[in-house]
Amino acid sequence: MKIFQVALGILAAIGGFVDIGDLVFNVSAGATFGYQLLWVVVIGVVGIVVYSEMCGRVAAVSGKAVFDAVRERVGFKSGLAVLVASQVVNLMTLTAEIGGVAICLQLLSGLAYRWLIVVAGAALLVVVWVTAFEWIERIFGYGGLCLLVFAVAAVKLHPGWGAVGHGFVPHLEMKSPLLYAYFAVGLLGAALTPYEVYFYSSGGVEEGWGPKDLRLNKVNAMIGYGLGGFLSFALMIVGGALFLGKGIEPEFLGSIALGAEVPLGQIGLLLALVGILFAVSGAAIDTLFSGAYNLAQFLGWEWGRYRTPRGAPRFTITWLVLLVLALGVVMTGVDPVQLTEYAVIFSAVALPLTYIPILLVANDRSYMREYVNGRLANTLGLIYLIVILFIALTAIPLLILTNAGQN
Amino acid sequence: MSDSIDLGLHVVDRQLIDSEGRRCGKVDDLALEGGAGEVLEVVAILSGPGVWRARAGLVGRLAAWIGGGGRVRIPWECVAEVRAHVKLRKRAEELGLGRGDDRLRPLLEKIPGSDR
Amino acid sequence: MRTYSSLLGRNVETESGRRLGRCRDMRALLRRGNPTVEALVVGHRGFLEHLGIGGPRKTRPNAVPWEAVVSIEGDRIVVRDGTELV
Repeated sequence: MKIFQVALGILAAIGGFVDIGDLVFNVSAGATFGYQLLWVVVIGVVGIVVYSEMCGRVAAVSGKAVFDAVRERVGFKSGLAVLVASQVVNLMTLTAEIGGVAICLQLLSGLAYRWLIVVAGAALLVVVWVTAFEWIERIFGYGGLCLLVFAVAAVKLHPGWGAVGHGFVPHLEMKSPLLYAYFAVGLLGAALTPYEVYFYSSGGVEEGWGPKDLRLNKVNAMIGYGLGGFLSFALMIVGGALFLGKGIEPEFLGSIALGAEVPLGQIGLLLALVGILFAVSGAAIDTLFSGAYNLAQFLGWEWGRYRTPRGAPRFTITWLVLLVLALGVVMTGVDPVQLTEYAVIFSAVALPLTYIPILLVANDRSYMREYVNGRLANTLGLIYLIVILFIALTAIPLLILTNAGQN
Repeated sequence: MSDSIDLGLHVVDRQLIDSEGRRCGKVDDLALEGGAGEVLEVVAILSGPGVWRARAGLVGRLAAWIGGGGRVRIPWECVAEVRAHVKLRKRAEELGLGRGDDRLRPLLEKIPGSDR
Repeated sequence: MRTYSSLLGRNVETESGRRLGRCRDMRALLRRGNPTVEALVVGHRGFLEHLGIGGPRKTRPNAVPWEAVVSIEGDRIVVRDGTELV
């Protein structure tokens, strides 16, 4: 029975792995560089496994979620700066995800985009309000599994598997190095989504994880996110097989869904759109709650979905306000796909701000007792600290130099 | 039983939990009594937006203004223990904590399903 | 009323002006009744030390006993001449 539960959790994690940032960057990277950046996706996937395992362990052993730890570790003044930066990035991401949901609904229904923004917002609100917390991750996770259609599509498109294999070997591209670097940074930023980590660690505290759940945490992180990475590979392979050299920029979610329609027909298109709808909706909910979790945890308010809205009024009002704000921004007509690129880049810049405090706490025996980072966790933790600092410093220069990947 | 702790690491910025397990703010600052040549004691915990002014300069003042500037003084006798969180001996309402939540609760109670 | 935050960040100097560092934290004794401050933690905690790399914390002396404090003025805390970090 336990195995069954664990398996279900892993399935939900796989289906929930992809968000609009992954969709946009993986397919675009495929369209621009073929399979050459697959190795970067591997680095990103391992990175999110390392990061979320650490956050999960901190949550399980110390009972503290990310922003509790941030404030305790760096203090009020610096912590406030981290909070503000995270909230800005979060709101950008949330706006992009909600816009993505609206686009998906439009592709599925053919109704007007403006109305569907409201529908998307209302639907998310109702689902969150009415559904039990445990079920939210499951519903959207399982629905996101429809994205496996891209894995099938990738195979059916008969990519040159030799070239695909070569893409897993780290190498530099000399013809347009800046653009290559931009996509590498974007892919890493899209994989190392901070809101996912905030949500995961807060969820761990809500579920009352303790040291006995540490193995579950490891398994969830490694297998769930690890396998989720395969979806990213599939997206890039499809992008490379279909769009490379054709001059097609997958700027529209519809083009991305084409990736499944071309080899698999109408059923492929439908599964792709449904998968994207669920994955992006799930991501929107995670991002929405992350914004509320972060503020409440930083300020010490009562928080958590399990507390019920009445039990945590300020927390509840925070996510309601964030939802309305994001809807408002989407209504102004901003292009969600373009906004996604900026959201991913800015979240890469802000990443060290929350990663470093967690790395510090994960090494602090007074929090972690005997569950502090071992040698492996610290080796990986430090390697990824360097990776994260590197992408944080190069993200904006590359954004500017490549004109957001337009070059 | 006595323990040596670093106030900044172990007390300040920690979560306050009341006697019923309710989260009710953070330890934003500490009130001290005494001075040079005499015993320096921690006499109270200070919590609330009004306290942030002293902690973060200009941004702190802005945050304090947004937060409404309230401050609560919790005498140290009300502290039950300092562990992962700072546990208090009394309920939040008795100490004047968690008022933000109490003020907004009626708003949410009007919405159906807010108790699930 | 003194606050913790008001004492934090002040320079800690001896009467003759020798700088020991900035007050980074305070060490207090938790016992029955109010905690008593027994020392000021002075100077920087190294980043690597924070990460737990390079041995246990507190290997470097970084505390000034409260008894050594002579006066608290303006923006600094003055300690007796001859006070060393412990």
